[in-house]
Amino acid sequence: MYPRFIVSENVMSNVELKSGDNENGTGSNMKLKKAFRAILRNKENGIAIPLLIVVLIIYLINPVFLKFDNVINILRQSAFVFLIGISMTFVFIGGGMDLSVGSILALSGIITGLGLLQGIPIWICILLGILAGAFTGFLNGIFVAIFRIPSFIVTLGMMYVARGVVQYLTRGVPVYPLPEKFNFLGQGYVAGIPIVVIIAALLGIVGHIVLQKTIYGRSVNAVGGNLETARISGINVVTIPLFTYVLNGIASGITGIFTAARLGSALSNSGMGMELQVIAAVIIGGTSMFGGSGSIVGTLIGAIFMSVISNGMIILKISVYLQSVVIGSIIILFVGLDQYNRKRQGTV
Amino acid sequence: MGDTGHAQYVLEMRNISKNFFSIVALDNVDINLRTGEILAMVGENGAGKSTLMKILSGHYPSGTYQGEMRVAGETVSFGSSRDAEKVGIEMIYQEISSHHDLSIAENLFLGNWPRIGKTPFLNKKKMIALAEEAVGYVGLDVDVNEPMGRLSTSQQQLVSIAKALYRKPRLLVLDEPTSALTQNETDRLMEILRGLKDDGISCIYISHKLDEVFAIADRVVVLRDGKNISTYEKTHIDPDKIIGDMVGRQIEEMYPKVEVPIGKVILDVKNFTVPSKIPGKNLLENISFHVREGEILGLGGLVGAGRSELVNAVYGFDKKINGSVFINGKELKNATPKRSIRSQIGLLTEDRKATGFVGTMDVKQNITLARLDKISNSGFLTSKKETVLAKIFFNKLRIKAPGIETGIMNLSGGNQQKAVLAKWLMADSKMLILDEPTRGIDVGAKVEIYKIMEELAREGVGIIMISSEMPELLAMCDRIIVLYKGRIRGEFSRDEISEDVYMKAATGITVSDDKEE
Repeated sequence: MYPRFIVSENVMSNVELKSGDNENGTGSNMKLKKAFRAILRNKENGIAIPLLIVVLIIYLINPVFLKFDNVINILRQSAFVFLIGISMTFVFIGGGMDLSVGSILALSGIITGLGLLQGIPIWICILLGILAGAFTGFLNGIFVAIFRIPSFIVTLGMMYVARGVVQYLTRGVPVYPLPEKFNFLGQGYVAGIPIVVIIAALLGIVGHIVLQKTIYGRSVNAVGGNLETARISGINVVTIPLFTYVLNGIASGITGIFTAARLGSALSNSGMGMELQVIAAVIIGGTSMFGGSGSIVGTLIGAIFMSVISNGMIILKISVYLQSVVIGSIIILFVGLDQYNRKRQGTV
Repeated sequence: MGDTGHAQYVLEMRNISKNFFSIVALDNVDINLRTGEILAMVGENGAGKSTLMKILSGHYPSGTYQGEMRVAGETVSFGSSRDAEKVGIEMIYQEISSHHDLSIAENLFLGNWPRIGKTPFLNKKKMIALAEEAVGYVGLDVDVNEPMGRLSTSQQQLVSIAKALYRKPRLLVLDEPTSALTQNETDRLMEILRGLKDDGISCIYISHKLDEVFAIADRVVVLRDGKNISTYEKTHIDPDKIIGDMVGRQIEEMYPKVEVPIGKVILDVKNFTVPSKIPGKNLLENISFHVREGEILGLGGLVGAGRSELVNAVYGFDKKINGSVFINGKELKNATPKRSIRSQIGLLTEDRKATGFVGTMDVKQNITLARLDKISNSGFLTSKKETVLAKIFFNKLRIKAPGIETGIMNLSGGNQQKAVLAKWLMADSKMLILDEPTRGIDVGAKVEIYKIMEELAREGVGIIMISSEMPELLAMCDRIIVLYKGRIRGEFSRDEISEDVYMKAATGITVSDDKEE
């Protein structure tokens, strides 16, 4: 007679079965079409298409650009930014931002390096470096999520604090020489691909799945989209955003270790300006500055875009000093126009 | 009558048509307004009222629509809202846009601040004096030096009305002006409008609250689907016919109240004390009440009586000083939203944009938000389960949207509200708290919400309904508790309650007076 509003688990599974049948009946043709449509309306398009055009132009002028070695170069350069970009995407979607990643990167590198010089086993040193990053991120998270201090202020402060700790620990002197075995992480290849690229790719896939397919990812979106609605819907609005900063600390730590291993030396000034590169990659990739939406794929495209620009300008023999001009213009043109469009459509 | 009769109509809009791409928003609409007349415009959301008013206010400049507009007999074409203001057209919108950090006085003269002579310096003294005069019009007793943010929503609304009145308009357009006002303030506004009428100022009054419309209007115009449907003179107003014209079908009864068997106590609230914004002072003290299965309990009182604060505290969304909650006889200790959801309590808040939905998400994601556990397997979301579950409630609540993956911001208010309601139904709520469930939604959607409430009650769900609209509260509830000055002022069964009794309790007039004397 009257529609039932309270759906029991039984009804659920029935409906599920039915819809399963339908899916099977449609065949792969539909699936292809669906996938194609998904690509077309993908919001990362705004930046993926310009990237492809830029790649094509550079390639047409100088085909060396797409030689295997150069592609590996570009990927390696992107990998460092993307590693932190993965977790930074979470921070942004959760409604925050993090300026301290460059300093955390240096801190983790130094702590790992100092441990290595003491002859502590490599894996323990790496663990210590990552823990240092996680702990710094945790502190960020506490101030932001529990005390509700704006993330800009907290992480700006932490940027100075962590950098200061690094300089105090090293007195500005590089920590080296680091053991060969450790340096292999930053300089070695597996199947012709740099280890850092492989790790970044793996973590990128994990990050994408967590963001798109898990309760945690959905909750981050909800908290960043509307904190009060998330709270009333039973989502923990303290631990969920807090953990995004821990993730960012861990990712910065990992990147710091790769950076030290790449140079064979942990530097007190490494990672300076990294926070802005990472943030640029994230927002070029279409992640909202205001929280609630964004994607890892976008961030990947953003990170690659920035490497393509700097690498391409070297290949085209344009002054490297103009790189920043180009990157900045891209941010204003693409990100700015994207925002303008969304505002016109009323979706922001 | 010739077209030159300039005193006859202060405003004539003729054959106004406007398209948004292929969608016809207005189709040859005619509106005219006599001097000193209050013209009510009614129609469901999307009927074209707002579009028409945006043309009138210059928001859509001339050239973006077809048709002719005359003010006091003279053809006008507005390039911007400034032009409309110049000829004396003022708008008061439902959504208040004020600067919370600026003072009331500064808000009143925003962009138009009195200066010292012709210098760029602000004449603060003059501004304060003028501001005090302006708030006096609307009977608002506040210090105009206070920041706007200190005022309640209804007071802010009154300030925006004062702002418009101060400019001595020829024509005032009010779009849902009372949605945030209490009954007293609404009465005050009606008085002001009648006063304006005597001064020869004309008004266009847009509202979903039909009782107000019928009380104030000289004439009622009904729009539907961008067309003129009908016009009623004051003496010929027939509520049933007007509602029928608005929705395009006869609504047999606005409130589909059905008696359903009332079961055992589902929610028992004991000795609740809720703090006010002022430290050390309590908004509510020692409030106890209960709700039974299948029962709709009304929580009445004026805006500011603490109705929302009470239910928010029960749910664990706001702070409480003390008090206990029992759900099905079991105590719900240290209530948090999560624990409440687990105990099958749902809370639909009064402000759906702030605490109802997540604007960056689509309909589906909003529906499943409170029960992500239901659509997941050890932390991983199952999109098939999500789609299926979301679709069930999407269909049950007859949400009008292209699909479940439509962004919730693209829905009308009524459909957004249904999506929020769907969220709580998906959460298996057996105890639903609905705080102003029909605020700012059109008549058709209202009736649907009422129907859903009835269907839920029939299934044994206990419902608390808070509403500032007395007619719906009285019509929908089995029992009503009225809060006044931090206490329960009265509790009335469906048979005992009348508008008179309710208002007396809500405004603190002793109920037993009549009986004793």
